[in-house]
Amino acid sequence: MQTDELERTLRPSLGDRITSVEAFPDTAGRVRFRREAALDVFRSVHALGFHHLSTVGGIDWVDHREVFYILWSDDTRQYVVLSTDVPASDAHVESATPVWPSANWHERETWELVDITFDHHPDLRHLLTPDGYAFHPLLRSFKLHEPEELEVKARHV
Amino acid sequence: MTTPASAPRLARSATQPESFRADGDLLMAGQPAVPFVEIEALRVKEFIPAAKEALTDLIAEQGQSKLIRPVFNWAGRNSLFPLHWGLACCAIEFAAAFGARWDAERFGVVPRSSPRQCDLMIVNGTVTWKVAHKLITLYEQMPEPKWVIAMGNCATGGGPFRTAYSVVPGVDKLVPVDVYIAGCPPRPEAMLDGILRLETLIRERKE
Amino acid sequence: MSEMWINMGPQHPMTHGLWNLRVRIEGEVILDVDPEMGYLHRGIEKISEDRHYNEVITLMDRTCYVAGLAWEHLYMLAAEEALHIRPPERAQYLRVLCEEFQRIASHLMWYAAFVQDIGLMSPFLYGMRDRDLILDLFQSYTGARMTYEYMRAGGVRNDLPPGFTDRARKVLDWLLPRFHEYDQLCLGSDIFHKRCDGLGKLSAEECIRHGVTGPMLRSAGRKRDLRRDRPYAVYDQLDFEVAVADGADVTGRYLVRMEEMRQSVRILYQVLDWLDRHPGPVMADQLPRWLGAPYAPVGREGYLLKRNYPKGVGFSAIEEPHGEALAYVVNEGGEHPYRVKFRSPVFANLAASRHYLVGYRVADIPPIMGSVDVCVGEVDR
Repeated sequence: MQTDELERTLRPSLGDRITSVEAFPDTAGRVRFRREAALDVFRSVHALGFHHLSTVGGIDWVDHREVFYILWSDDTRQYVVLSTDVPASDAHVESATPVWPSANWHERETWELVDITFDHHPDLRHLLTPDGYAFHPLLRSFKLHEPEELEVKARHV
Repeated sequence: MTTPASAPRLARSATQPESFRADGDLLMAGQPAVPFVEIEALRVKEFIPAAKEALTDLIAEQGQSKLIRPVFNWAGRNSLFPLHWGLACCAIEFAAAFGARWDAERFGVVPRSSPRQCDLMIVNGTVTWKVAHKLITLYEQMPEPKWVIAMGNCATGGGPFRTAYSVVPGVDKLVPVDVYIAGCPPRPEAMLDGILRLETLIRERKE
Repeated sequence: MSEMWINMGPQHPMTHGLWNLRVRIEGEVILDVDPEMGYLHRGIEKISEDRHYNEVITLMDRTCYVAGLAWEHLYMLAAEEALHIRPPERAQYLRVLCEEFQRIASHLMWYAAFVQDIGLMSPFLYGMRDRDLILDLFQSYTGARMTYEYMRAGGVRNDLPPGFTDRARKVLDWLLPRFHEYDQLCLGSDIFHKRCDGLGKLSAEECIRHGVTGPMLRSAGRKRDLRRDRPYAVYDQLDFEVAVADGADVTGRYLVRMEEMRQSVRILYQVLDWLDRHPGPVMADQLPRWLGAPYAPVGREGYLLKRNYPKGVGFSAIEEPHGEALAYVVNEGGEHPYRVKFRSPVFANLAASRHYLVGYRVADIPPIMGSVDVCVGEVDR
């Protein structure tokens, strides 16, 4: 499946809920969508045969944050990347768990590390960091420190 | 640990006090066995009074701690039971040392799964703050006397993850460490060398 | 009978690493499980952002410590795409050589640990003995047994030493009949069958729903292998079969891994023949100058080069010994990656543990979790 074919398939049903479909190396393409329409996009892409959600991740672009979903289709044997931008002040997006149950742990990880909340997630709690850990390490504002400073930080958790 | 029952193999009183010196009694091929133990075939009802008599004499002669300590050290260092757990990469080399090629069990090192049966904790990997209090709990559950080996650079000082936000920069921040082994990960030979060095430490233990 | 939660871990002989399986039981029956991870979370993705592209390789070996070279390969594929570098063909064959040997070594480590879990003692010695032969080969050309730092952006660090291919063939000749021995040790044992048959069932549809990949998925009969479905490096020029089994249970996963080792040997014979016939460079020409200098004090010229270097995004997926692994590298110019994201197969396989553990008994947990082949390093990263 090529990128333009992907756009032709998705555009009629989703309209302007997807902002762009662009080429992405080694995949069928990257679909950028508006975060309000997340569940619609998930369902449409799932219906295309992308039944396997490989991962969910987040990138902190300082002024906004990006959530990306990487999916795999056994029919076309291709990956596709979905991505959406969320403002840093109001970083939340609908959870993908109703469509792909495997998103559960990936979203928990993204929530704690990149500080993006997933609405209606069944079980949003700490996975890798200790319970009550107050920091979001993968944000650009989180700088790595010398160990001695860090000990102090960790003890205040 | 100071009961005379710890040393039931003493069948007869040793006359020379210097034979209690702890050096030179590693049970290696070609060397004489432990010099102060003369093993005889005795029946149990003969052995117990004989041992009692021998021990009483010796204790009167030299004091209790001086007698028990070398025996205890000798037994302890030849049967170190490390805690069977794996933290990270070093755990794989830890396991490899118990394989057919290195066979760490010939040094009397047998991993046990319960901390209550262990006297040695080999911290074989990166210690994070999340596991720190569990490590301390395990250490406290181990009966005295106990030793800790920091295996690899992560346990020694954080290693390549020293700057990470979640890593304890060295396990000696949490528990007292007796032997540090360098390497990332150390080869099984290095781990065995660390255990032998710990045995040297135990041999010289006084209190 | 009342219900209760018990903790299996973080220090438990079943876990093979630091993680905690919280199990809700009624009597002996498992009602619910909740794996608790993060005891080995070292923040590798964060440290990578502070490191030079070539320095991240150090972390990759320690991410999955039983399959370090496979993870180096994964990261290098993505980083080279982000940096617009293409390695020479010989380097790609060398990487496939590394990855396939690593697959056998990883599966042997799994074999040693898993079979010990279900009560057979001698297979541990067999597995570790043969794994050491492969580690010796690694040591002869990378210098290390487990943490190799062998691959570089643009190729690999050094070529093979003289006589390596012959030694490697000897090891492979030794290994092939050994797999038959392993099968005799396990499949010929009633203990093995009684402890493994029909346990931990997870159908192919459930596997897809919950993101389970690798030998667990192939044991359910689904022929999915990224080496075949989406060939990377030079896998499209190599001849091999994808190992599958039916049954979707612990025995099926055992059979898949055994067959995968045989197929890896088959691939390795081809790769060694190719390497014998095609000498050549193992590093790409005309690498950007700052890539060669880790701390990059290369003066104004190097600084300008970095500034002008094109940005990019790298994405790669490989069939790691445990399953489908992904790397996503964002290059925003400069010497450090802007963001590195890894997808660990065991992470997803563990996340689905509720679906293949509930309904079995407590004594079934070690064989089932052993068949998942948990490597905590790559789950927690």
